[in-house]
Amino acid sequence: MKTVRLALRNIFRNKRRTAITFLAIISGSSAIIVFGGYVEFSYWGLRETVINTQFAHIQIYKKGYMEKGVTEPAKYLIKDPDSVEKAIAVFPNVKYMRMLSSRLSFSGLVSTGEKTIACWGIGVNPEKEKEMSYFESIIDGQQLTAEMQEEGVVGAELMKALGAKVGDNVTILTSTVAGVINAADIKVVGVAQTGTKEYDSVFIKLPIKFVRRMLNTESAEKILILLDKTEEVPTVVPLVQKIIDDKGLDLELQTWDKLADFYHKVVNLYEGIFNVMKVIIGIIVFFSIANTMSMSIFERTKEIGTLRAIGTTKWGITKLFLVEGVLIGILGGILGVLFGVLAAKVINLAGGIEISPPPGMTTSFVTMILVVPKVLLYSFFLTALVSVLSSLYPAIKASRLKIVDAIHYV
Amino acid sequence: MTQASSLIVLEKVSKTYQLGKVEVRALKEVDFEVQEGEFVSVCGPSGSGKSTLLNLIGCIDTPTSGKVSILGKDVKEFSDAALSKMRNKIIGFIFQSFNLIPVLTAFENVEYPLVLQDMPKNTRVEKVATLMKEVGLADFGKHRPDELSGGQRQRVAIARALVTGPKLVLADEPTANLDSKTGIEILDLMQKMNEEHRTTFIFSTHDPKIEKYAKKIYAMVDGKLSL
Repeated sequence: MKTVRLALRNIFRNKRRTAITFLAIISGSSAIIVFGGYVEFSYWGLRETVINTQFAHIQIYKKGYMEKGVTEPAKYLIKDPDSVEKAIAVFPNVKYMRMLSSRLSFSGLVSTGEKTIACWGIGVNPEKEKEMSYFESIIDGQQLTAEMQEEGVVGAELMKALGAKVGDNVTILTSTVAGVINAADIKVVGVAQTGTKEYDSVFIKLPIKFVRRMLNTESAEKILILLDKTEEVPTVVPLVQKIIDDKGLDLELQTWDKLADFYHKVVNLYEGIFNVMKVIIGIIVFFSIANTMSMSIFERTKEIGTLRAIGTTKWGITKLFLVEGVLIGILGGILGVLFGVLAAKVINLAGGIEISPPPGMTTSFVTMILVVPKVLLYSFFLTALVSVLSSLYPAIKASRLKIVDAIHYV
Repeated sequence: MTQASSLIVLEKVSKTYQLGKVEVRALKEVDFEVQEGEFVSVCGPSGSGKSTLLNLIGCIDTPTSGKVSILGKDVKEFSDAALSKMRNKIIGFIFQSFNLIPVLTAFENVEYPLVLQDMPKNTRVEKVATLMKEVGLADFGKHRPDELSGGQRQRVAIARALVTGPKLVLADEPTANLDSKTGIEILDLMQKMNEEHRTTFIFSTHDPKIEKYAKKIYAMVDGKLSL
């Protein structure tokens, strides 16, 4: 305790220098918290977008679909999707499910007569899929409704490529499950934008009844489950699996994060950038503190000699300066977190920051700073650790001063 | 005569050090012996090697050649930790510029060597209070060094040097930064401590008025010592 008391008094001995040191730590800490918060917000936004517009939280298929469904789609369809839906809907410990719905999709061509482009037809139940429709931006026309039989909503990029407008008729071409080519006309009632470029340039949302007629089957390709919160996925998955096992259903399930390839690519990109930033900030804070510690030790050369002369060991001297470094790190770390959170709140209150479209997205968005405990803890430990490390070398050098030279140092 | 019970024995001790590009021979084959309880002064002009002599006895420097023994043991044999322990328990230092820790109060400065010994708090407080009273600073415990006069600071330094009950106190020009009246007060105090605690005092000075306080006066000229 004596060391801590002495260290504290020494830290606040030169208030201006200590203030500048804390300023360096606070700047570094705030930068990490704000940037980290922006990154977390981006992840959250992208995550919820792809979940709510494409994948939902959990998907259920016929067993074998995940492995062989791409090459032999017709063989791996869910034969009686309605009864499966009924079975899943009855949870022993009911977790709130926002949506439970079947889908059937196909790859084919869409043609205006003048232009023909590859497309991905998604057959949905418009009534049941209200939750997911909310996340799509209808930029022209309207969303699919339950009564519609031969109408479709086209992705914004696809619409642009076709050069069509709302109200036009387009022809859809695909083959049935038996492999026979089929074509039908639909009327475009709306243009939707999900924000993900690769998706918006291929999808056409159609009533599932229409798709079933086109493919000549009553089956469904997958059943989507949308939960209230993404964090609930790990708890719900075993519950669903239990129902499948208990009722001996010939099904398998998959979670969104195994399907969201694009999302993971974005996360990896951002993590890479963020890591570089953390290293750079760490280095700057390191040298800042090392400089301060060195100056402080230099000024106290005579004092160090005196402490040694009255019986302090080399390790005692090292310990003294290390404790000062640790205390600077802890105090600075706490201040850094407080200021970082403050900066985040100020930015959010000011309305956020506008960011231009990230890779693969189609629109710019206003980012908020998401204050997440993980980022706060990280920032605290980074600055605390850097403080200790940067004090190490000066502290050891101080302990090695020759007593006779140090005492007579002027 | 080398007595078996000598506190300090220096045998043919030489010290040479580099001052920039010049080699300075501070001590030239010095023989020196001090018994317990003595009150000794080493006098001489600046640069004569007095400080170097005291540094070697206090083990804060090492001789270039020769042997330094304290309580019959050659200090060369001691590890750094052992030397630190000896400086804490057996040797006390008083410096020309007082060398107090500025962020500690007078009381805490005197207390510090005892804290290094991990002594329990009440024992420490008792010893420090006693010594503060002896040096006449009982009411100044809470003052920081920059709130004390030169004379008062040196008194604190004396208290600190004596708080561990050392066998030997080394004072390197203790009165050089004090006016003559205060200087005399300090020497009086040191003499009183020597008589009451039986602590050996070796002090260096170039002030003829001060050197007379010692019972044994050594002259140091160009690295050579004589009585």
